[in-house]
Amino acid sequence: MQMNRKDLEQFIEAKEYVDTLLIPLSPVSINGDEQGKKVVFQGELLQIFCNEIEKYYTGRIFLFPPYYYLVNGSYQNEVERLNKWVGAAKEHPFEHVFFLTFDHFWKKQEKNIDGHLLWFPTMTSGDLHSKENQSLIKEQIEQIKQLITSYW
Amino acid sequence: MSEKKKQVSRRQFLNYTLTGVGGFMAAGMLAPMVRFAIDPVLQTRERGGFSAVVDVDELTNEPQRFDWQIDQVDAWYESKVTRSAWVYKKEDGTIMALSPICTHLGCVVSWQGNDDYPDQFYCPCHGGRYTKEGVNIPNTPPPAPLALYEQKEEEGTLFLGKAIPREGA
Repeated sequence: MQMNRKDLEQFIEAKEYVDTLLIPLSPVSINGDEQGKKVVFQGELLQIFCNEIEKYYTGRIFLFPPYYYLVNGSYQNEVERLNKWVGAAKEHPFEHVFFLTFDHFWKKQEKNIDGHLLWFPTMTSGDLHSKENQSLIKEQIEQIKQLITSYW
Repeated sequence: MSEKKKQVSRRQFLNYTLTGVGGFMAAGMLAPMVRFAIDPVLQTRERGGFSAVVDVDELTNEPQRFDWQIDQVDAWYESKVTRSAWVYKKEDGTIMALSPICTHLGCVVSWQGNDDYPDQFYCPCHGGRYTKEGVNIPNTPPPAPLALYEQKEEEGTLFLGKAIPREGA
């Protein structure tokens, strides 16, 4: 389910079935330098991952809007802000909370975060529509799906 | 002074005129004919909401999953949307094309998705199950059978349209 009115209504009705929260952690940058392009590309990719996962497990996963943060901001505050942010969502008793990111920063902060952090390295540039990349992405999504179901 | 100018004879003039006019007429007749002839090539694979999905020869008695894309236009977006179906041939040769969307809360079911239940569709979210005909199994969460796609067969190709929900069992 996603953050829109239709899904939200369904969620309230079927709350006991939706026990998993998925939150993309997406850095943003408006710099045109290599780092900036990389960050934006990975943000696009992250959204594809999350949408695909949500599509498969619509009835059990609530996909939160991405948590955006500036790539060159102070990360220290981000952990605190993120926990506050997630705290609001966790008023509904989600049994499983997953964070999905390609930014290795979070890996080091894993223990301070309230939930399971899924970080893995992936492409930093390329054509998202080419056949090869599509099958690679599909394969990765498949594996994340298996990981998530193993928690259920 | 016009002695040196080349004269166009009456015969030449008529020849030129007739060739020109005849050429136009021939072109006018041929153009639609050529368009008719190559029409099947230009035709899109999507008409009247139906999309070509698979050659009928490829279908077996086991449900197989097929994906195809449609152009979806709503108020704000025009987007390519991937649709999927589980398709198989029944014993009597009729084709079943089932929507993979679980009628409970909309997850994606898969054929033989759980080893404990061979020959059933299984939903990974809450353990919903369906028979091979897509009928929900009592005492599992889904309230209704899987939707059936509208289908038609043309020249050995299976076309699928909208998924039509079915009444609960």
